[in-house]
Amino acid sequence: MKYATLQKTNLNDWLEYLKKKAKLYAPRKKEGHFVFRPVKEVEDVCLEYIPTILPPKKYYFPQKERLFKFSAQPFKTAKAIDTFDEFILFGVHTCDIAGIQCMDVVFRDGPEDPNYLNRKDKMAIIGIECLKYCDKHANCVSMGNHIPRGGYDLMMIDIGDKFIIHINSEKGEKLVKGVDFIKESTEKEMIDLERVREEKKKIFKEEFYAPLSRIYDSFDKSFNSEVWKDVGKRCVGCGNCTAVCPTCYCFDVADEMELNLNDGVRYRIWNSCQMDDFARVAGGEDFRKGRDSRQRHRYYRKFKYPVDKFNRYFCTGCGRCTRTCMAGISLIDTVNALAPVAIE
Amino acid sequence: MKKQSKPKLAFFDFTDCEGCQLQFANMGETLLELLDLVDIVSFREIMSESAEDYDIAFIEGSITTDNDVLRVKKIREKAKILVALGSCAAIGGVNGVKNRSSLDAAKAIVYGDKGRAINSIKAMPVKEVVHVDYTINGCPVYLPEVVSVVKCLLMGKPYIVPDYPVCVECKMNENVCRYEKDQECMGTVTRAGCNSWCINNGNRCYGCRGLLDNPAAEAQKDILNKYGLKIEDVLKHFTLYNDSMGEKYDQEFK
Repeated sequence: MKYATLQKTNLNDWLEYLKKKAKLYAPRKKEGHFVFRPVKEVEDVCLEYIPTILPPKKYYFPQKERLFKFSAQPFKTAKAIDTFDEFILFGVHTCDIAGIQCMDVVFRDGPEDPNYLNRKDKMAIIGIECLKYCDKHANCVSMGNHIPRGGYDLMMIDIGDKFIIHINSEKGEKLVKGVDFIKESTEKEMIDLERVREEKKKIFKEEFYAPLSRIYDSFDKSFNSEVWKDVGKRCVGCGNCTAVCPTCYCFDVADEMELNLNDGVRYRIWNSCQMDDFARVAGGEDFRKGRDSRQRHRYYRKFKYPVDKFNRYFCTGCGRCTRTCMAGISLIDTVNALAPVAIE
Repeated sequence: MKKQSKPKLAFFDFTDCEGCQLQFANMGETLLELLDLVDIVSFREIMSESAEDYDIAFIEGSITTDNDVLRVKKIREKAKILVALGSCAAIGGVNGVKNRSSLDAAKAIVYGDKGRAINSIKAMPVKEVVHVDYTINGCPVYLPEVVSVVKCLLMGKPYIVPDYPVCVECKMNENVCRYEKDQECMGTVTRAGCNSWCINNGNRCYGCRGLLDNPAAEAQKDILNKYGLKIEDVLKHFTLYNDSMGEKYDQEFK
C-alpha cells in the first residue's frame, strides 16, 4: 500500500490509536500562536496552524539535554549514550521536515552524535502538506520545501472531507496498517489529490526575486555589503532568530553538580551565534564583535557555508526568524536586498 | 576523607525589604540539604541567635547611609567570601530611584521637615563600596540560581552571571512574546539567569536583574516605537531598578 485514505470524521480515532502506540506530539494553540505539545486530549490537536513558536527540534535536540552523569569520588562516569522511548511527531509541515533533514546531515557527519541519532531512531514523523501560505513571512517555495520531498514516514494531504496519506516507510506503514477505518486510496481519490496539487500551484509563488543559485553567488560577493550594517543596527541581539530556527544546532556543554558536591551531570544547552560572547576566545579576542557581523554570520550559515560543506541550503523557508523578530528584520527582505534582480 | 568543619554563613540586611532573605528561608527541603554543607550562624528571619564569627557573608540591600558604608566594610574584613544577594545589593535596585533627585529633595519627600536630621547618601550597590565575590541578581532572587551560586562558592568556582538577554531563556521556554501581545517588556536588554520567571507566569520583564553589559539601546528604542509604546513611559518602568546604574543608563538610553 502506497497511499491510504482517512475520513476526516475518523481523525480523532486515529489520534487515539497513535496515542496508544507511542508518545504523541502535535501542534496546538497557545495564546493566538501555536506550539508542539504532548497530546493529552485529541480534540486539542490543531492541524491548521502557522509554524509553531519553536520548531519540533525541541524533541530531537532538546533545549537542555543530559549527556551523562558522573561522580568525583570515587571517580565514575556513566556511558554517554542514552536510550529513549518511541515517539511520534504528528502534523509536521514540510518546511520543518526539511529542517529535520538538515539536522540529520549535521549530526551524522563524523563524529556522529549518538544522542541525536538515538532519539531520531525512535521518532516517527507524520507530516501534513500545506495547501495555502501560512503568512507573508514564509519563503518555502524559493527553498523548494513547500511540497513533500521525503524525510517523513507518513504525509497527510487534505483533499476535502478526507486525508490522503502517503506511506513513505515501513515505520509509517505500521501506523496505518490494520487500522480498520484507513483504506487504500481509490483511483478517484488519487485524481482528487492531483487536482488539489494543481490548485496549490496557483497559490504558491517564488518569494525571492532571484533563483537560489544567484542568491548563493550574491552571498559570495556581499560579505562587506551595507545590508549587514543596516540589519546590525536594528538587531537587539535577543537570539530569538536562532532559537526558533529549525536548522540552528549550536550548543554549549556544561557541568552541574548536585548539592552533595560529589555527583554531577554534564549537559548541553542551546547556544547562539547572536550572543555577545559567542565568538570571544581566551585573551579577549572577539571574531564577530558587532551585531552586524553576528547577523551576517547567521545568514551565511543558511545560504553559503552549508551549501559549500553539505551541498544543502539550511534555510527551510518556514519564516520563523522573521515572525519572531521584534525589530522586524525580515529574511525575505534581506535576501532580496542582496540579490535584487534575477539577471540571467 | 577527614570531615572538615562546615563553613559558617551569615546574612546581613541593609536598605531593602528583606524579601530575598525570605526567598532563601522559603527554599524548603533544599535548605535542609544545604545545612549538610554549611552552618548558618546569623539569619534574623529564621533564628534568634547571631554570631560574630563567619566565613561567608550574604549582603542584602543597597548602601544608603554613612553607617552602611562602615558596617559593610567591617563585614568585608571578617568574611572570606562576600555575596551580594538580590537587586538592591547587586545593582542598587529600587533604592536607586532616589538618585534621580538631589539628596535634600529626596529627604524632604520622605521625611518632610525632619529630613535634615537624617543621614543619607546616594544609593549604591555593594560593589561600589567593597569587593564582591559573588553576585546574585533579581528582585527577588531566583532560587535555582541561588543554589547554583552556593554550589559554586563551596567548590571555589566562579559563578558567571549570564550576559545575554532574558529573551534567550524566554524563547527556550516557548513563551508568546509580550510584544506580540502589545505589551512592553524589558527582557530584550535585561541580563538573563532567572529562566524568564516573570514571563513564564504571565507577567512582563521589569528589568530587575539590570542592564546587559552591551545593551542594544538604539534597537530597543526602535522596537518600542514600532509597537507604538512611548519610550519615555517605558523607560520610567525600566529605571525602577536601574537608576543607580545612572551613568550607564544615561549613556545608553538618553
